[in-house]
This record gives sequence, structure tokens and C-alpha cells, in this order.
Amino acid sequence: MLRVIKPGLQTTLQGAPRRGVRHFGVPACGPADTLSLALANRLVGNAPTATGLEITYGGFVAAVERACAIAITGAFGGATVAGRNIAPHRTLHLKPGDEIDIAPPQIGARTYLAIRSGFQADEMFGAASTYLPAAFGGLSGRVLQAQDRLAANGLSTYSETLTTPDAIRPVFTASFALRACKSAETSLLSRTSQACIFAESFVAGRQATRMGLALTGHTLELASDGKMLSAPVFPGLIQCPPSGTPIVLLADAQTTGGYPRIASIARCDRHLLGQIRPGNFVQLLARDPDQAATAYREKKALLAPWLDG
Amino acid sequence: MRSEVKFKRLADDVFECPVGSPLEAQNLARVLRASRLVEDAVPGLNRVAVTFEPDRADDVQAWLDTLRPTDWPASEPSNTLEVDIAYGGADGPDLEAVCATLGLSQTAFIAQHTAQTHTVEMLGFTPGFAYISGLSDAWSLSRLSDPRPRVPAGSVGISGRFTGVYALAGPGGWPLIGRTAAALFEADRDPPFLLHPGQHLRFRSV
Repeated sequence: MLRVIKPGLQTTLQGAPRRGVRHFGVPACGPADTLSLALANRLVGNAPTATGLEITYGGFVAAVERACAIAITGAFGGATVAGRNIAPHRTLHLKPGDEIDIAPPQIGARTYLAIRSGFQADEMFGAASTYLPAAFGGLSGRVLQAQDRLAANGLSTYSETLTTPDAIRPVFTASFALRACKSAETSLLSRTSQACIFAESFVAGRQATRMGLALTGHTLELASDGKMLSAPVFPGLIQCPPSGTPIVLLADAQTTGGYPRIASIARCDRHLLGQIRPGNFVQLLARDPDQAATAYREKKALLAPWLDG
Repeated sequence: MRSEVKFKRLADDVFECPVGSPLEAQNLARVLRASRLVEDAVPGLNRVAVTFEPDRADDVQAWLDTLRPTDWPASEPSNTLEVDIAYGGADGPDLEAVCATLGLSQTAFIAQHTAQTHTVEMLGFTPGFAYISGLSDAWSLSRLSDPRPRVPAGSVGISGRFTGVYALAGPGGWPLIGRTAAALFEADRDPPFLLHPGQHLRFRSV
């Protein structure tokens, strides 16, 4: 249906996260911004985790080879179809010969493109999401390249034309306030550093991958040597290596780690991690687990009428 | 000795319980995975974590409170698997440096590494990566200061108290001492990884 002309810096097929396989060391994967992919899928009548494209920093161009319905969400820096500007968060009906051109976003990091019926992709460990480090899932486990052909997993046209309601469209800025809970080894930080993590604003580091994101600007102090036996870690968790520069884990996070676990981004805000760019500000808002669960319930209730509608 | 089952809530979507041994962690995690409330039950070396939908926290808590240490079976007997390793050379580019650090000849290193029975303690970090205990207590090696962006599948490294085996190619920070040609990963096999926690291993130099 689509033939890639320019793949952009890092475009991968991402869909459902892998569940129930972390004890094999297999990471979740899936979109770094789960909400944006779910919203794109909604606009073409797919399940929230149908396989779509995760386009990092734009620069993606593809030719349409068969009629299809698509939608674009997430970070948006402009896009054209057949040379005409198109809007995000709306069902787009494309015809053969059209060319889609997605520009690099100035704000936010990842753009999502869903196609009616989802893209075909390799399944591994129960899901089709790409895991680049071990090269599985997606399209042969790799980033898209020019001339790759992507087909839908069924009928690619869609009769409806939908628009995401304004009230639930995520708006990205250069500052992220993320609700977070303390974690198992927060107490291994010095008193000052324990206060620092929820009081100060951090700056996203230059290494911003699907595995993790460094939080710079404040060096944390561990009260001990920080040595511990490898313990379970998850997307959203923040580890503090001996360097004192905390690392937030994302969708491709390793399954275990030996660094103190000092905080955990609450699930309600975890989707935002996928939109943080190097240099953006990140502030953690302290919540206890029950407050964070309540916030999750509220966000789910806000989205349900649209996503489940 | 079994520890008490005492789960602590770590976040909106994580409970964790300390346990006495890696094997106990594996056994408890297996029981936890059987519940539909649980998304993932992940054993570490001395604890087990479970993740769940935050709005199911009360149900998860209530269920975890009913668990007793007798609810999970003790270790299963395991046969001993022989794993052939090509030590040193291009297969184990760090063997020379490792031997220099330990003050051993390569022959002495290989003799010691192949003399003992080793035990897989857990899979973790990256897909199928096996943490294997059984190294001489006198050995404790640091990780590489510059991890390799890609090590080949089958690579064998040592770090801390463990031998590590990379089931798949990927980034790796352990000094590499050799490589095995064993079929560590087969997509169609269930489970797909050859090594599993609790399994005893003997290494053989080829």
C-alpha cells in the first residue's frame, strides 16, 4: 500500500506491547507514546494497539500504491498529501499516486501514522512491535528504509471520516510535568537528592532513545555505593547509576537492572515520555501510588467515550 | 528456607516482594504469572515484581495477601546440560585481558571455568540473556567501561559473580571470554530459549 521514499531518522512499526515475557528478558516495546498511536488507530477504526508507524523527528515520505485510509497524530510539524497541507487528528483517504510527506516536528519527538486494518509486521513473543537491539518484530526487526513496501493487515479503505475531539488531543510543549511515585531504592539517595527529584526541573539529555532518557541538570548523590543485585525494572522507572545522572526507562527498557530505582513515572503520564526531546524540561510531581492510580482512572475515563466509542 | 511473602507497593502499577534466593524468585514468579490480574511477573536475583493495571490495585493486593509460601513448588530437579564454548580468540576478545586481571594463564582459566558445575539463576536484561552462577569466589570482574553496541549471539562473558550468555545479538557490556554455537534461541520452540533458571550447566572447551 505504501512505498517508503524517505524513511526519516528512525521509523519503526510499533503496535501492542509484549506482555508476560519479561521473565525471559524480553522487553515490552510498542509505541513510546501509546496514547498517540491509540488516537491514530481510532481515526481509522482500528483497535488501540493495531500496528502503526512510529516516526521519530519526521522526515518521512512515502508513495501510496493502493487506496487507503490513514491518520496522523503525535508530534506534528506539518504534513502534505499530494502537495496539499493536511491536518493531524483526522481520517485521510488516500489514492494511488499520492505522496505523503511528514515534516520534522519542532515540538514533541514522535509522529504516529495508522492505516486502516493496521500494518502487516513480523510477530515475535506475541506481538508485532519492533525491537531494534535484537532485531525482531516489525519489518525484519529493523528501521524502515527507502523502497520498503508496507501492506495493511486487511481492507485498507474506511468509510468514515473522523476527527479527534479537541478536549482529548494531547498538546505538547518543551516542558513536561510528569506525575511520579517513589520507588524501591529512593531511600538510597542522600536526603538532599531525595528532595531534589521532586522539587527541581531536569533537562532531557542528548541520549533520548526508545530504551531510556537521561535527566540532566542535577547530579544526584547516592548515600551508599549503590551496589545491588539485579532487580526488575519497567518502562517509566527511573534508575540512578553511580554517575548521579538519572535515567528514565522507555518502551524498549531492559527487564532487570542493577542501579537503584529512585522513582517511577505514573502510568497516567507515561505516554508523554515518548515526546520528550533533548533539551526539554522535565519536572516530576510527587504522588503516592493511590493518587497515581486515581489519576490513571480519571484519564482513562476521559478517553473512554472516544477510544471505546 | 522460604521467606515470608511480603509485597510492597512500589508504584501505581508495581508490587514487589523480597525473596531468599534466585530460584525462589523464579518459583514465586511462575505462580504469579498464572493470574489474569498480572501483566508481568518478573524475578530478579532476590525479589519478584508484578505489574498490573493501576485501577486493579485493590484486587491485586487482596490476592497477593492470600498467597502463602507453600503455594509455590520448590525447585524442580534439573539435568545438567553440556555447553561447548570456543574460548578466546575472535570468539572471546577479552579473554586475554580477563586472564591478566585474574593473574591466570588462559589454560588455567579455561580449566577452572570448565571444572565446575554452573547454575542458571535468571534470564534478564535483554532477551534470553542468562545470569549463570558458579564462578570461583576469587573472581570478580568489572564490566567494560565502553559497552559494545553489538555482540554476536552465543557470546559468553563474565562479570561480577556471573557468567553471562547472550542468546541473541545485541548491545553488551560484559567482557567476552568465548562463544557457544548452541541453539540458544529458536523462535518455534516453547520456551524459545534453551537455558532456563535452575538449570545446571557444564562448560566444555572446543
